[in-house]
Amino acid sequence: MVEIRWHSRAGQGAVSGAKGLGDVVATTGKEVQAFALYGSAKRGAALRAYNRIDDERILNHAKFMYPDFVLVIDPALAMSDNITMNDKESTKYIVTTHLSKEELINNIPALQGKEDRVYVADCIQISLDTIGRSMPNAPMLGAFVKISGMFELDYFLENMKRVLQKFPQKIIDANMEAITRAYNEVN
Amino acid sequence: MQDLKLLAQDNRGLYQLEAGEDLLGWHEVTQGSILPSFEGDATGIANMKQEERNYSHYNSYTATVASWRVLKPVYNRDICIDCQNCWVWCPDTSIISRDKQMLGIDYDHCKGCGVCVEVCPTNPKSLLMFGEHSSFEDALSQWPEKKKKEKK
Amino acid sequence: MAVKFDLNEREVWDGAYAASQALRQAQVDVLAAYPITPSTPIVENYGSYEANGYIDGEVIMVESEHAAMSACVGASGSGGRVATATSSQGFALMAEVLYQASGMRLPIVMTVVNRALASPLNVRGDHSDMYLGRDSGWIQLGAFNAEEAYDLTLCAFKIGEDHSVRLPVMVHQDGFTTSHTAQNVYPITDEKAYKFVGDFKPVDDMLDFSRPVTYGAQTEEDWHFEHKARQHKAIMDSRPVIDATFEEFEKLSGRKYKRVETYHMDDAEVAIVALGTTVETALVAARELREEEGIKAGVVAIRVFRPFPLDQVRLALKDVKAVSVLDRSAPGGAMGAFFNEVSAALYTTNARPLVTNYIYGLGGRDFSIAEAKRIFKEQKAHADIGHITTDIQKFSGLRGPEFGYFQTLRG
Repeated sequence: MVEIRWHSRAGQGAVSGAKGLGDVVATTGKEVQAFALYGSAKRGAALRAYNRIDDERILNHAKFMYPDFVLVIDPALAMSDNITMNDKESTKYIVTTHLSKEELINNIPALQGKEDRVYVADCIQISLDTIGRSMPNAPMLGAFVKISGMFELDYFLENMKRVLQKFPQKIIDANMEAITRAYNEVN
Repeated sequence: MQDLKLLAQDNRGLYQLEAGEDLLGWHEVTQGSILPSFEGDATGIANMKQEERNYSHYNSYTATVASWRVLKPVYNRDICIDCQNCWVWCPDTSIISRDKQMLGIDYDHCKGCGVCVEVCPTNPKSLLMFGEHSSFEDALSQWPEKKKKEKK
Repeated sequence: MAVKFDLNEREVWDGAYAASQALRQAQVDVLAAYPITPSTPIVENYGSYEANGYIDGEVIMVESEHAAMSACVGASGSGGRVATATSSQGFALMAEVLYQASGMRLPIVMTVVNRALASPLNVRGDHSDMYLGRDSGWIQLGAFNAEEAYDLTLCAFKIGEDHSVRLPVMVHQDGFTTSHTAQNVYPITDEKAYKFVGDFKPVDDMLDFSRPVTYGAQTEEDWHFEHKARQHKAIMDSRPVIDATFEEFEKLSGRKYKRVETYHMDDAEVAIVALGTTVETALVAARELREEEGIKAGVVAIRVFRPFPLDQVRLALKDVKAVSVLDRSAPGGAMGAFFNEVSAALYTTNARPLVTNYIYGLGGRDFSIAEAKRIFKEQKAHADIGHITTDIQKFSGLRGPEFGYFQTLRG
């Protein structure tokens, strides 16, 4: 079982990101779960989205988890939200930031001592460059593909195209570029 | 003189509407208390007159409430102007009318409420209440004269 | 003719989407609804199918849930396949008309996304609304995940419309935990799904002009009781129809459903009895406890809440030593209603397991594997000592001091 927790603001696409990830992962034959902790959330409010991935049917319906991956797609939330909550010795962090990894860790005491498990990518800037607006979810998926090693990039891109099929070709292409750039830039 | 069974099917007012005796058990009542109004195929029923319709025993047509009456309305054809007021107002559809011509009372379903008399606009009234046991002849013979308008 | 909807063999759907797909496949004639969180996406998705030509039926937007169910009653009485969706306050507003629908034996299918009842206002999942329908005369099926919400919605039409049943059916799923959680769903093709559900065959329909009928007759003390008794017989006697429908569905899909689901109960010493998604979370806890600590834990789940499967619940539990029955609805001055029903069922056997009641998960409060394990272990402790050492009714996952009521007289 792989468990993922997304930290995001409503409107940044964490829920779509989590569902898109679930969709792609399911095509590999795995069982997935994607949900979010939101409700009366307004655009900009902090929210958390979750994924579970397993070889067998997922029976656990609790929100509670010890995440294997924490994906932070809002730079300010990395500082203000408790992103290390319920983490494990092996939990990997991918954080959206314009800072270098060292600068980020210097700013977040909770990440100190976890240097080898923290990765950064500027998903906001990548989405601005490729999609034309701040949609950090797609680049975060690219970064996740790289860090998790769960799929080949090309395989993921092919399946992501299917998930996005209802959108115009221009948007699909921009998303593919965003995913590829983050895949290459995450470190 | 009105026929008591004016324009009636054989089964009009066949059953007494009384509670508590010989009623169906839970295993016999209709599903969902849904009640079919007619026996057999009722196609085209909208174009048939009441007395031509084959009402089922679930329809109140086949029940009588005549015994509820203490006073009964008696109809006087000679005065009636066929305005249909009584037909409109009767709460039990007990005014029998054809082609906008008033014919008489359905005495199986009339409860003797007197609304028809109340709404009758003629002078004297064309419908008046009489004791249930008085005969039509007596009633008609006692009909009042036209009232003169009082001078103001 | 409706446009063909492309389905994949494997989809990732949330429970709301899954339910809306089942409604599409059943070729509903009329869907009348007033969307309310968290069942909104069922109506929203279904509305999009209509807008895009994927369905031939009508969608009626009405001015309230009372009107929604009233429109359903009218459409169903007229002889159509009818469905709706609601939650919580909307369900409460429908309450009056729910009884009309079942009393008139109208096989309306309602997908209910369970949500707490205000006050205080809350949009998340608990079973308050489902409990409100307990005595309404509707058949109530419970899904534990998205795929089951899909499966059971298909089954609901077949069960309710069976001429020996002719009753409305609710298909319950947990608000957010099922309705907004995407999981793998393996849908059945449109052709197979429709063939399974079958054509709608009306009974006493108001649009049959060859046989006009009266709906909604008044029956006072001389008739009402007999009609309600006959209605009770219909829902009690729906049990074999439900079983047969589940069997047929298994042949179609390979997915097996029972009115009472049992997990690891063959040798279970302690058990949790639950409804909804909690069943599966508790099942994970039971498996882990068996592996980690050798505690013989099992789970009993009610798939069909109404007609209540008293006969099967008592058989499932008669050999355990301690049971906790989990109620996800504020009990309002009593033991949990589900606890009462399960305890009453057990009392008709010679078995006297120690039965406790947990109130949990109100307003969507999370129920974790760890908490399920704690409850199992507490039951194990009761079993070992031989009597209940805690209050009989307790609250799980509640902040503040320990809170509970009533102590056993058996200790």
